[in-house]
Amino acid sequence: MSASGENFGHHGSDLDSIFSTYRELRATCPVGRSQRYGGFWFFTRYDDIWAAEQNPGVFSVEQGMLLPSLGNERPLIPLDIDPPSLQQYRRMLLPAFAPARIERLEPFVRDVAGSLIEGFAGEDVFDASLSYARILPLIVFSEMAGLPRSDYDCFQEWVERTMYGRTEDPADAVRAAKEVCAYFRELRRRRLDEPARDDLVGCLLSGRVDGRLLSEDEFADYCFLLLVAGLETSAWSIRSALWHLAQHPQDRRRLVSQPELMVKATEEFLRCLAPVQGMARTLKRDVEVRGQLLGAGDRVLLLLGSGNRDEDVFTDADDVVIDRVDNPHLAFGIGAHRCLGSNLGRREVRIGLEVLLSRIPEFELADSDVPWWGLGPLPLRRCEGAGSQRGGAASTRSAATTRSAASTRSAAPTRSAAPTRSAAPTRSAAPAGGVV
Amino acid sequence: MKVSVDPERCQGHNRCHVLVSEVFDVDELGFAVVVTEHVPDHLVSRALEAVRNCPERAITADLEPSDDAGQHP
Repeated sequence: MSASGENFGHHGSDLDSIFSTYRELRATCPVGRSQRYGGFWFFTRYDDIWAAEQNPGVFSVEQGMLLPSLGNERPLIPLDIDPPSLQQYRRMLLPAFAPARIERLEPFVRDVAGSLIEGFAGEDVFDASLSYARILPLIVFSEMAGLPRSDYDCFQEWVERTMYGRTEDPADAVRAAKEVCAYFRELRRRRLDEPARDDLVGCLLSGRVDGRLLSEDEFADYCFLLLVAGLETSAWSIRSALWHLAQHPQDRRRLVSQPELMVKATEEFLRCLAPVQGMARTLKRDVEVRGQLLGAGDRVLLLLGSGNRDEDVFTDADDVVIDRVDNPHLAFGIGAHRCLGSNLGRREVRIGLEVLLSRIPEFELADSDVPWWGLGPLPLRRCEGAGSQRGGAASTRSAATTRSAASTRSAAPTRSAAPTRSAAPTRSAAPAGGVV
Repeated sequence: MKVSVDPERCQGHNRCHVLVSEVFDVDELGFAVVVTEHVPDHLVSRALEAVRNCPERAITADLEPSDDAGQHP
C-alpha cells in the first residue's frame, strides 16, 4: 500500500492488513483518493467521518452507500435515501427494532444458539462460522422478519453473490439482485392474501410513506437491504469475535468468569473487527477537508473501521480491550443512517458469544491462517483448560498512545429534523446474565 | 449534576440506556428519554460514562450545583 492510498480498497484480501493500512493513512494521508471502483475519496480520521455523517445535506446517499454497489437497480431502502424521506421509511420499522422488542427475543436467541451448539457436540474441531456464526442470525432474523425456513439456502446464496460477489463477478451480483427482488415481490403477493402479521414483512406491508403504502419495488428494495444487512453483518461480527477469542485465552477466561463484561466486550469487538469498514456518500457541493478540495458529485468513502482505531479518540486504539470504558465507536454508523438493526445486531453478537463460551469455554484456532474478516470457515478446536495456554497473543498489535476525552469534542453541524417521538415507559435493563 | 438529551441529535443507539437505565430510558421507537434529570451522586460516574459513549454527542451533563446540592456532603 502506497502512502497516498491510490490503490486503497476495503474488500476481500485488502482486509488482511487493513488495520496497518489505516494507521499509515491516518498519519500520512488522512483524506486520500483511490482509483478503485470508479475513483473515490476516503476519510480515515474519526472527527472527519463524524462531521460528514452528521451532514447528510452535503454528504448524500443518493448514489448509494455501498461501494461498489450490490448490483441493485434501484436505491436500497432506507440505506440510499436522504432525509427527509429517510425518516418515513425508517419509522415503519423503528418500533420493531427498539430495545424492548429485541429484549423479548433474547430467550429465543439463546435457545437457537444452544441447539446449534448441540449440533456439533461430538466434534473436536467444528466450523464456528458455517455451523454457528452464520446460522444464528439467519434463523433469528428470518423468524423476526417472517421469512420461511424452506428458503434459508437461497438467502445464504444471495448474500454471498451480492455482498461478496460484487467485487469478483459484478454481473452475477446483478443477476442475484434481480432474483432477490423477484423473490420478495412474490412473497409480497402471497402475504397480501394472508391475514396480517406483525413481523418485519408485515410492518412493511402496512407502513406508509407520504400517506401511501409501499410500492412493490419499494417493498422488494427494503427487503433486499434487510436481508443482506440482517444476515451478513451479525454473522461476520460473531465470527470475528470468536477469531479473536480463539487466540486470546485471557480474554476468553475473563468473559467466562465475568459474563457481566460481555456488554462492553461486544462493543469492543464491534469497534475493532466490524463487518462494515466503510460507507460511501456523494457530495452535493464542493467542500474542503484538511486542505483537500473535493468536488460536487465526487464519491467519498467514510472509513468507519479506521475512525474506530483513531489514536486521537481511543487509547491503545489498535488493541482489543474487552473492558474498554470509553467507546463511542462508529460501527453502526451515526447520524440519520444509524443502523436500523443495531439493537438486534449487538444482542445477537452478545448472546451468541455468551452461549458459546458457556458451553465451550476453551478453544483455539484449528487453522491459524484463516482471516479475521468475512464469512469464510473458522475451524475451532476444543481444548482442555491448560492446553489453550499456547494459543495466546498470536495477533498482538502495537498499541497507540494518545487520547482525548470524548466529552470535550466540539459540536458538529446540524442535521435534519427528526420525526416526532412519543415517550413510552416500557423496557428494563437487560443484565448480561451468564448461562454458565 | 443535571443531564439532558438533545432529541435532534439522538439516533437511538441505546448506549446510554444500557449503561445507566436509572437515568436514561428509551421510547417505543428507541430514542433516549431522561427519567432522572437530577442525577443522584451514586449514578454520576455512570451517567458521565454515558455522555462519553454516546456516538452522537447527544447528551449534555451540567455540572453546575443543582437544587439538591449540599444535601450530599
